[in-house]
Amino acid sequence: MSQGLAGYIIRRLLWTVPVIVAISILVFLLLRLGPLDPVESILGQRYTEEGADRLREKYGYDRPVHIQYLKYVQNLFQGDLGVSTRHQNFTVAEVVIPKIRVSAGMGVMAMVLVFGLGVPAGVFAALRRGTFLDPLTIGFWLLIDSVPVLISAIWAQWLFALQFGWVDLTYGGVFHPNIILPVFVMSLPGVAGVARLMRASVIQVSTEDYVRTARSKGLREQTVVVSHVVRNALLPMITVIGLALPGIFAGALFTELLFGIPGIAREALQAVLAPDFDVVLGLVLFGSILFVFANILVDVAYGFIDPRIRLSAARGS
Amino acid sequence: MSNRTLGIMMGAVALLIVAVAVVFVLVLSGGDGDDDSGTAQPAREASERDDDTDSARETGGDDDDRDRAVSGSGICSENRLVTFGDDPATVFDPIQVGDASTAEYTAEIFGGLVTLDLDLNVVPDIAERWEITDNGRVYTFFLRDDVVFHNGRRVTADDFKYSIERAADPANFSPTVLDYLGDIVGVRDKFNGRTDEVSGVQVIDEYTLRIELDRPISYFLQQLTYTIAYVVDQEQIEQDPDGWTRQPNGTGPFRLKIFRPLEEIVLIPNDRYHLGPPRLDEVVFTLAGGSLSTRFQNDEIHIAIVPAVELAGVLSGESELAEFYRPAPQLAFFYLGMNVNEPPFDDPLVRQAFALAIDREAINEVLFFDAAIVADGIVPPTLPGYSEAITSYRYDPDRAAELLAQSRYANDMPRIILTFSGGGGDPPDNLQAYQQQWREALGVEVEIEAIEWSAYLRELRRGELQMYSTGWIADYPDPENFVGKLFASESRLNHSGYANDRVDALLDEAATLQDQEARYRLYHEAEQIIIDDAPIIPTFWTVGHYLVRECVQNWVDPGTIVPKYRYIEIDTSGE
Repeated sequence: MSQGLAGYIIRRLLWTVPVIVAISILVFLLLRLGPLDPVESILGQRYTEEGADRLREKYGYDRPVHIQYLKYVQNLFQGDLGVSTRHQNFTVAEVVIPKIRVSAGMGVMAMVLVFGLGVPAGVFAALRRGTFLDPLTIGFWLLIDSVPVLISAIWAQWLFALQFGWVDLTYGGVFHPNIILPVFVMSLPGVAGVARLMRASVIQVSTEDYVRTARSKGLREQTVVVSHVVRNALLPMITVIGLALPGIFAGALFTELLFGIPGIAREALQAVLAPDFDVVLGLVLFGSILFVFANILVDVAYGFIDPRIRLSAARGS
Repeated sequence: MSNRTLGIMMGAVALLIVAVAVVFVLVLSGGDGDDDSGTAQPAREASERDDDTDSARETGGDDDDRDRAVSGSGICSENRLVTFGDDPATVFDPIQVGDASTAEYTAEIFGGLVTLDLDLNVVPDIAERWEITDNGRVYTFFLRDDVVFHNGRRVTADDFKYSIERAADPANFSPTVLDYLGDIVGVRDKFNGRTDEVSGVQVIDEYTLRIELDRPISYFLQQLTYTIAYVVDQEQIEQDPDGWTRQPNGTGPFRLKIFRPLEEIVLIPNDRYHLGPPRLDEVVFTLAGGSLSTRFQNDEIHIAIVPAVELAGVLSGESELAEFYRPAPQLAFFYLGMNVNEPPFDDPLVRQAFALAIDREAINEVLFFDAAIVADGIVPPTLPGYSEAITSYRYDPDRAAELLAQSRYANDMPRIILTFSGGGGDPPDNLQAYQQQWREALGVEVEIEAIEWSAYLRELRRGELQMYSTGWIADYPDPENFVGKLFASESRLNHSGYANDRVDALLDEAATLQDQEARYRLYHEAEQIIIDDAPIIPTFWTVGHYLVRECVQNWVDPGTIVPKYRYIEIDTSGE
């Protein structure tokens, strides 16, 4: 790796620190200074001043906001994300980590499925350009894409569980076969985007000089397509992987709600409604870090694959 | 990537597209049903399963067997109940439990001095019998000598003293102790750090416990049925203060076998349970998974809730789910509150006019498919102490307009805001219906406002809401929990600011009376006065809409926290 790239990465990483700090302060203040009050929610109609005082003391809400924030940061450096108030007597880590595991597992599977379906569909459409198969393939996936998960989830449950009896809807963990249906439903809307991008990319690469050179060398058409066109056309797809990562976490809400999957999106919704300050904050920070790092990762990966980009990044620094 | 892999991938895509297309075609043709020609085999099967046609009945033998293999007996073949539940909001520690779902599990794993039967009467649990002396201020409990914790250790009076003192310990931050045990001498003081011992709880001998109250309260036994008063194992807690709740050692009918957060809770019977061991081999609470009713139809679960979209069909008998329908009246009372200290509701005529102007029967019919119960009183029908004789203001728009015209605000109606707790979007349908009925009968435009839950609770508690929509679910099954808690002038749950000396006197008298029937009569009188004064408009008592498989025997939903799974049994005979 060139000096320039290393410096570039370090600078990018350093930049994330103020970003994360700013986000944490903003969210912390939004939660504490708004009308939300977890103690009120815990006690509900059982509220008494003395009971509430004891809980405020327990959670530290009786202290001034800036002290609460500093305390939070101090704990953060010791790896302590705070405590949940919706799940009393559980720490944020205990509440959030199992759910991140669930969402991450599903996310990876969904991503594999999205690309597994989208890339071949795109290549297929591009190679059949000019025939009815091109618009048919892309059109089919666009049609699927335009069905909201809210609808497709219910349809899929009815079809595959009730009509065919292929799957059960009981949740048995991320590695249980029952996870296939929600992952499938979650992936469907993403395929069209990948397919279209892949199609455009294949068509664009096909006009490159080196493809023409390869053809004129007398290489077999299949070799040209596979080693020259598709391989190079895959390059822009990396950005999609990176940028889709936070999207998969964020976009899973309806899948999680309709399949009753204990993932991060459902927890985030419930944490906001509860309200559960530390869990909300923990999730926002997790999401921000994920997003920032995914971006850096994409840039770096890009550099590894395409030397031209590495060069310009280095030159840019 | 080689040619070969690329080819395979292309093939896979093509195959998938074809597969999806075929599936759609099959489903569409199967849905039509009346396809006699039977061109496509799967389509014919689907239509046979849906329609009870003659041809299906002729080949009935085979089809029935197949159906049962696919769906019928699967879930009913074992003596194992599969139901649903919420992820526990807190650990399985009786003094931390404040929510209904955790309470449900806790009530099966632990037990206390007394418990509730399925009709919500207080019955003995660990206490065999009790005596009430000193005008209802002192309770002496005589414990059974054969009660053991799940690990076999015998339960004595000392365990109860430990458990109650632990509940009151300020270091344990119990959210419910003051509500349920706050009347025991010393509990409040210990909670506030003024004393170490709860002097009101005395161990007389190994199996005799005396509890002394600050004042006589006739619903104390009902309060003792809540989880906060359950007995816990001191030895276990001291050995493993942080982890004991993962393997709680209670005295209840069930033991915790598996707790996989977010996934499932599995309870197994406590064979030494002193009130008779459970009949089931296992109870499984699924904490996650797809739509309950779909899982119910797919034979994955014994008990489900009727989804809102299916309710009309289920109630009319048109839905195929109708045969499984089991309504369960809840111990829940919904009402509209009005702040009696603020215009215009400081004039009783205005409150009465608002009550007379809404047509709850029509709303029940149109919005709830007649499945809710119009609240003619405050205490719900399934609660001990309910009276049919109590009547509320019935829809009479003319009389309503008349009363409003006589009121102080006849020509000078201030702005009225009805607040409810909720997010964005339209207000609930019933609130919009009230709004429209007030507009039509009284010519008054009420504004509806939604606020976030914790802020709503705060404003409600401070009596800042002019008009509000809320409800109350029983903490313990006694009329005091409704009439006293919501309407005694000093009660912190009296959000409307209502104060009536006669009502207060009746409630005070009822709180100390030992004769249940006489007590109930006092509550009835108070209830009728309150409704006539109209600080609130009673709207509905709710009903739970359940789906229960036929093979589940002795299922009931008493509407509150009652250990109920030990009565249930699965009929595995396949009838």
